[in-house]
Amino acid sequence: MSKSIHDMGWDELVLGAAVHSFKEEIDYNPSQVLPENRDYAETNSKYKYVGDWRVFKPVWNTDLCIHCQFCWLYCPDTSILSREKKMIGFDYDHCKGCGICQEVCPTNPKSIIMFTEQTEEEEALNQWPEKKGSK
Amino acid sequence: MLEIRWHSRAGQGAVTGAKGLGSVVAETGKEVQAFAFYGSAKRGASMTAYNRIDDKKILNHEKYMNPDYVFILDPGLAYTDDITANATDETKYIITSHLSKDEVIAKIPALHGIEDRVFVLDCFTIAQETIGRAIPNTPMLGAFMKVSGMFELEYFQNAMKSVLSKLPQKIIDANMVAIERAYNEVH
Amino acid sequence: MNSKIMELNKVEVWDGNMAATQAMRQADIDVVAAYPITPSTPVVENYATFHANGYIDGEFVMVESEHAAMSGCVGAAAAGGRVATATSSQGLALMVEVLYQASGMRLPMVLNIVNRALASPLNVNGDHSDLYLTRDSGWISLCTFSPQEVYDMNLCAFKIGEHMDVRLPVIVNQDGFLSSHTAQNIYPLQDKEACDFVGEYKPLNAMLDFSRPVTHGVQTEEDWHFEHKAKQHDALMNSTKVIAEVFAEFEKLSGRKYNFVESYKMEDAEIAIVVLGTTYESAQLAVDKMREEGIKAGVVAIRVFRPFPLKEVSDMLQNVKAVACMDRSAPGGSVGALYNEISGALFNSPARPLLSNIIYGLGGRDMTIGVLCDIYRDLDAEAKAGKLNGSIQRFVGVRGPELKYYKV
Ligand code: SF4
Ligand code: SF4
Repeated sequence: MSKSIHDMGWDELVLGAAVHSFKEEIDYNPSQVLPENRDYAETNSKYKYVGDWRVFKPVWNTDLCIHCQFCWLYCPDTSILSREKKMIGFDYDHCKGCGICQEVCPTNPKSIIMFTEQTEEEEALNQWPEKKGSK
Repeated sequence: MLEIRWHSRAGQGAVTGAKGLGSVVAETGKEVQAFAFYGSAKRGASMTAYNRIDDKKILNHEKYMNPDYVFILDPGLAYTDDITANATDETKYIITSHLSKDEVIAKIPALHGIEDRVFVLDCFTIAQETIGRAIPNTPMLGAFMKVSGMFELEYFQNAMKSVLSKLPQKIIDANMVAIERAYNEVH
Repeated sequence: MNSKIMELNKVEVWDGNMAATQAMRQADIDVVAAYPITPSTPVVENYATFHANGYIDGEFVMVESEHAAMSGCVGAAAAGGRVATATSSQGLALMVEVLYQASGMRLPMVLNIVNRALASPLNVNGDHSDLYLTRDSGWISLCTFSPQEVYDMNLCAFKIGEHMDVRLPVIVNQDGFLSSHTAQNIYPLQDKEACDFVGEYKPLNAMLDFSRPVTHGVQTEEDWHFEHKAKQHDALMNSTKVIAEVFAEFEKLSGRKYNFVESYKMEDAEIAIVVLGTTYESAQLAVDKMREEGIKAGVVAIRVFRPFPLKEVSDMLQNVKAVACMDRSAPGGSVGALYNEISGALFNSPARPLLSNIIYGLGGRDMTIGVLCDIYRDLDAEAKAGKLNGSIQRFVGVRGPELKYYKV
């Protein structure tokens, strides 16, 4: 299986277009191994860069975040990175900029806000809105 | 090839009877076929079932049949169904009726002149009095054994016992009495 | 093998539906997901009864539609189990979308199709319009002509589809009512014999194999789709080798021999009809009658409808003068499917028999021995005249003015 799928003809493909997650058989429980330590197969979506699908990107404000994990739970592309139940950033290779994380973030002001793709992080943080007063 | 057509109402057990007859005959080493025409197949609707019996494998799948025997399981159908359809000069008829043979024939012009090929018995009364339900199929088979001479009464009864073996013993015994009565009463 | 054995007699009197169920019971299936429809209902009804009475160790799942039934089968097969179901007509039509999933995902399973006309008008009786609906679905499609064959082909179907060189789903066709509701002598195998013949199910890329996590049902666009379809077609085309092996092994076990193309009195036949279903057996009686009249008639039937035995059927027809391809399905604006296949098969061969297309038996219209004899007499006249009698396609057995198309 060292040959890349891009060099394979019809006769070499896995039948039924079944896609294996890992290169080899595994003897561990993948949920107990960090993603960076899993031996993903070439055809795993891990290696499929879709970051360029994004028009707006999420920016995270560490000062406001309460680590509630809502964004991690709701992100449809598993692009919220979290360790030890603490938010640590985004996987910008797979985040498609849907804005759901901003939507579900409960802090006031939001700890995640969508900015245009070309906005620098520092610039974004400088523009962060004030707390909204309740009426 | 022996061919039988059953005239019945859906729910009177013609299909079960045809399959039962098939099972008995198959055990003797013959090849059998049992099938039916299903229209809307609502209980009470007129329907026909069929048997073919032969010494060699039955290849015929046409529904069309020139029957050697016609069984009429319901008295009313003797008058309303075309019971002599596609019949030959030798087709025999076994009709369920509470009337006597002469009375039945008098009412059905198609049977005039072939009185010697018409046989009558009251399967309903026999079934009611023995099995306790008006299911005329086993008595009809008893009558058929007498008319056709296909099997001895006792042999047929034993074969039917194994076909009915899943039923309670009481029902099996009652069916045996019904077969014997039909065998003796058909005329 | 199921933990509870059913003792069978040497000869049983079963209809085609019961024959299918008994083979399914003996095949030790993991999951049957089903939704009933006439005339296939008794297949799953009998199966549910066996299940309720403890004769089936596997799961029986009643679902809300045929689409769901096939989806359940796909899920269970992808999970790594042996699966089967049954349907007919409109139910099959609802299943069609998922049929393509099953074959594309290369999931072996057995589908009993009790052939019935497609509405409208609504009709519960047998014709082959549902069989033809599965033509390009990528399934192996086996045809049967009697209840005994339904039993035999079901056992073979599991073994063929599950073979590691095949891994494709398999359809077993039988004629609605003419086979499904016709009880005849059946010579079954005992449970152990049948189960041993079918063999243990070997999962491949099973979702329940946690050592090799896998995704089934992926999307491929122009990048990989063509390659996967090519691979699938190649497997279907090459399944002939396994089909032949399984037929041979089954013959050793049962004494009953099956071929890709079945034939009767074709050795010296001058005219022939090509058919599917129970008509094949009835036609043999017509052939015998014709022979008494001095007409050298024969009959050919397709046993393995997919992969289509192009070469075998062409070889079979090399020495005849006139052939009628008989399609029991409304042709929908062209010649019937069999006519298409047979003319395609003959085109690159030396033989050029007169080739006509007869449409018959729609919605269960009886095909009698008498009408078959008439067809043979017409064929004989055409063979003697050296040309078709006016047209390529005609309807037989329909009331009203004569229907003929494609004048020659
Ligand atoms: S939802 Fe907002 S507050 Fe909660 S973890 Fe995510 S960024 Fe932090
Ligand atoms: S923008 Fe959408 S995809 Fe990106 S991290 Fe937020 S929820 Fe996930």
